[in-house]
Amino acid sequence: MRTEAALDSPRENADMNEWPEPREELVQILTPDGERLEQPLYDRWISDIDADALVALLEDLTVVRRIDVEATALQRQGELGLWPPLLGQEASQIGSARALREDDFVFTSYRENAVAYCRGVQLGDLVKVWRGTAFSGWNPFDVGMATPQVIIGAQTLHATGYAMGCKKDGVDSVAVAYFGDGATSQGDVNEAMIFAASFNAPVIFFCQNNHWAISEPVGLQAVRPIADRAPGFGIPSMRVDGNDVLAVMAATRIALDRARSGGGPTFIEAVTYRMGPHTTSDDPSKYEDRASHEEWAAKDPILRLTQYLEGEGILTDEVRAAVKSKADDVAREFRAECIGMANPEPMTVFDNVFAEPHSALDRQKQQFAAYLSYVEGSTR
Amino acid sequence: MSEQLTLSRAIGAGLRRALADDDRVLLMGEDIGDLGGVFRVTDGLKAEFGAERVMDTPLAESAILGTAIGLAYRGFRPVVEIQFDGFIFPAFDQIVAQLGKLRYRTGGAVSMPITIRVPFGGGIGSVEHHSESPEAYFAHTPGLRVVSCSNPQDAYSMIREAIRSDDPVLFFEPKRRYWAKGEVDLEAEPEPLGSAKVVVTGADVTLVTYGPLVATAIDAAAAAVEDGVSVEVIDLRSLAPVDFETVEASVRKTGRLVITHEAAQSGGLGAEIAASITDRCFYHLEAAPQRVTGFDVPYPPAKLEEQYLPDLDRILDAVDRVLGRENSLTGWSAK
Amino acid sequence: MTRDFTLPDLGEGLTESELVAWHVVVGDLVELNQPIAEVETAKAIVQLPSPFAGVISALYVEPGTTVTVGSPLVAFELDGPADVEVVDDAEPVPQADAAAKPARNAVLVGYGPPVEGGERPKRKRASRPLPAQVAPAGPAAERVVQDTPRSTPPVRKLAADLGIDLALVSGTGDAGTITRSDVLAATSTVTETATSVSAGTVSAGTVSAGLAAPTPVRAPQSGERETRTPIKGVRKATAEAMVQSAFTAPHVTEFLTIDVTAASELLAELRESKAFAGQRITMLALVAKALLLAVDRTPSVNSRWDDAAAEIVQFGYVNLGIAVATPRGLMVPNIRDADQLSLVELAASLTDLAETARSGATTPQSLTGGTISITNVGVFGVDAGTPILNPGEAAILAMGAVRRLPWEYRGEIALRDVMTLSLSFDHRLVDGEQGSRFLTDIGAILKNPGMALTMV
Repeated sequence: MRTEAALDSPRENADMNEWPEPREELVQILTPDGERLEQPLYDRWISDIDADALVALLEDLTVVRRIDVEATALQRQGELGLWPPLLGQEASQIGSARALREDDFVFTSYRENAVAYCRGVQLGDLVKVWRGTAFSGWNPFDVGMATPQVIIGAQTLHATGYAMGCKKDGVDSVAVAYFGDGATSQGDVNEAMIFAASFNAPVIFFCQNNHWAISEPVGLQAVRPIADRAPGFGIPSMRVDGNDVLAVMAATRIALDRARSGGGPTFIEAVTYRMGPHTTSDDPSKYEDRASHEEWAAKDPILRLTQYLEGEGILTDEVRAAVKSKADDVAREFRAECIGMANPEPMTVFDNVFAEPHSALDRQKQQFAAYLSYVEGSTR
Repeated sequence: MSEQLTLSRAIGAGLRRALADDDRVLLMGEDIGDLGGVFRVTDGLKAEFGAERVMDTPLAESAILGTAIGLAYRGFRPVVEIQFDGFIFPAFDQIVAQLGKLRYRTGGAVSMPITIRVPFGGGIGSVEHHSESPEAYFAHTPGLRVVSCSNPQDAYSMIREAIRSDDPVLFFEPKRRYWAKGEVDLEAEPEPLGSAKVVVTGADVTLVTYGPLVATAIDAAAAAVEDGVSVEVIDLRSLAPVDFETVEASVRKTGRLVITHEAAQSGGLGAEIAASITDRCFYHLEAAPQRVTGFDVPYPPAKLEEQYLPDLDRILDAVDRVLGRENSLTGWSAK
Repeated sequence: MTRDFTLPDLGEGLTESELVAWHVVVGDLVELNQPIAEVETAKAIVQLPSPFAGVISALYVEPGTTVTVGSPLVAFELDGPADVEVVDDAEPVPQADAAAKPARNAVLVGYGPPVEGGERPKRKRASRPLPAQVAPAGPAAERVVQDTPRSTPPVRKLAADLGIDLALVSGTGDAGTITRSDVLAATSTVTETATSVSAGTVSAGTVSAGLAAPTPVRAPQSGERETRTPIKGVRKATAEAMVQSAFTAPHVTEFLTIDVTAASELLAELRESKAFAGQRITMLALVAKALLLAVDRTPSVNSRWDDAAAEIVQFGYVNLGIAVATPRGLMVPNIRDADQLSLVELAASLTDLAETARSGATTPQSLTGGTISITNVGVFGVDAGTPILNPGEAAILAMGAVRRLPWEYRGEIALRDVMTLSLSFDHRLVDGEQGSRFLTDIGAILKNPGMALTMV
């Protein structure tokens, strides 16, 4: 029963005082200034990342940012209906996706265009959904990546089920679910973690905490670090600097290794920041504090890798020019693919609803065909 | 006092009025606070009434509805925003299995004066799950009232009535008409929910619709004049219950009925209206009622939505069918 | 080359935006994606990146102006292929014709919401009546709105087939519903006023006068208690023929009501049989066959009174006339040498004859030279009548509706198929004994089709 006394001292219960301390610190290998830290637990997982591999990562980060900026411009020019920028989240996506094998399978949200790029999705295919010519830019089985999910968090269950299937089939492929901090509030995501733990599924829950669910700060979804939630479900978790491509890659490799060797699910919280709007329809100036924007601008993932490579003497003018040239080429091709995309034929609206003939739909299709030829027969 | 408002702002004005008139009214939803909602319907309300009454919620539709039910148990009058039509499904269980049944379950002891605002429909070139028309699921569910506005004045009036109702109300907002402007009399006493309205009078065919297609139907009626055809347009406004008396009176006059909605055809509102009006006006019908609807396919990608959405030409083709004039099914005779 | 750039939908269904500021002036050389303007929508302030590399040649709107989605904002002068190769390879940015008002489409992904203040809504294809249809009564605005008469769709079809305007018919069914009988009663009224022939006279075609006449029969409007319709065309010809026949040939009509259950059963069997596969066989075919058999025993019913020659012409063949109601009016085409036809052939000829007549393809030859006729008033749901002889013929048989009625059957009351036959004959040619035998012979065959064996 409610009493004033109880309301005044809600935490007098002894058990409540035994909460673990919130885990605020991040795994970090590259500091925002481009300094490389010693992280013995993590370093060994990325010991193969040599100068060439580092340059390749820089190129990836640069190219996907360039794609993102070009897509935003294309939306402003009326060529795309909408675009969800990933600006600021490049390292989280590149670092994790470049850790995967071809036979792994990813289930992402709609902002993971850099993941798609790493999986080998063609440039034009990245924007079919946003131009509105198709609901899936690619065949999921061609690239090991499901069609990006629009319903918040729904894909985490799909990833878990896929992982359960890998285990049943006796293969060591891993499923990865990408989602955001907002999604962790959804029932689906919590249910996915319960299933993954119960069935010891080889799945990675990769949460990009970009601090915003449209206008809502992460504090509304989680009053403690999100990574702290997973152990309650029986899932080990890591909290990494999401703007540090090396830390993200190391953490992902650890989780992959655990999954492949029968250790079950892992939860990774990659702490990053959405530097752009939620989508091109959004206006962050209505809710975003400029100070935190500036603070995070200084933690830019490309900037820190650039500084590190400069310090190591790897980033020569030649390398710099090659990276720029690659980004320019990709942007040009990307724009041309987007603008040159053909609209779907009208009658394709009826395609692929069912595998077998369907009498009601077949009749509608037939009548619509008659309608089109009737209306287009002549105009007044 | 009359103002020129967009439909979006008119709903916002209705919400402001409801918040001011009754301190048990509170708003809940994703991004409705500082952002003012993705369609800016709740713009400025958090600043005016505070975060206790205009609550940004975590991203969990089932939880938004479920906690609204709990708040209603405590005597609050929650007004819930579901950000987009396609996001209502996580909350389906709370709406259908809980909200619609609570009064019945408790023998009338518990009232659920919850309003669920849902931007719905297509035509905005958006991505998957952002253009759906899920109204029939709820119109089919006992215990729920379902309404849809089509113009700023009705939007202002109907949102206030929906909040005032002691029953749960699904309030469907035509998102492609959010920016349509109209004169709104802010002092007008709201009409009770549940009535349809004849928005164009005509003699030959009754054209029934609601929400986003009301404007399309009015355009169709204007275009039909050139064919010498007089179309009467009815804005249903209430989808559950449907004001069949208004539709019936019109069909008794015209003898012909065309229903149009964006939602898919099978099992939709159009089927219910055709069946009920056939029952009520069988001897007056000169032709079988016709439905002009979205096809029985998932709402398609933006570049195909023009094919999917009923438009002026498809509506008038059905008008020709009920009038026994040349149409797409009879074909075109060369003469 | 000049290219316009029109305002796109910048955020999920927006219809307009305000141009806040230009970052360029006419004559500026701009790069692809260089910000050229700042625009405020209902949702946000956004920068517009240039879609082309080129020189600004015109700015169409002033800062502070609200611009409709799809309206031209700015024009570019594009040098040549070198500067714009990416754009040139591709589909051009959709653009509004500078002269045209923005329509639905413009530069939107999808087509976006309709633009307010656009042109008067217009459809792609004009509406037209179906070719066979009578033109509408007049402009919609002039038509009087009234509660429409109530009836079921089949009754409305019947009325349409008979050319009856339901507004003229008073309903006797539930809540004033117009029934099949009401429509048929209305046909009699039309016949009466048009031809002065007694009510109940069945001449199916005359009732089509409403459609055949150039001015449709309308309900008298307020202040107008009568309407006058000119007598001409098919109606006039029909009327003259009927009057001539009715007032020159002394008509006698006899009635016979019989149990035709056996004939109904025979029909059902025939329909299943191989010989009639693909054929439409009806009670009319059986009645026609019975009549043809009966003619053999009473030849005088198949003869003609030739007044001019002062002779009686006895035919040695039967050209069997069938009264058909068509949209054009009454027609009595005949089947040549019907007496030579088997039942299968007869059924086929009847189907063919009716279809030909209804489609308007009946030839003048098939309308002349008839020797005896049948009119099937049963299809209109009535039991009997006093048919008027087709001019020049000695007899006409009217077959009524087959009804399920309580009837004496083997000493008990049973529900049986019952039909009334009405035979009108020219008493100059056929006396009562002959006419009665002819009628009872037909009845006997229909009551027990096996009786036919005794008559051949």
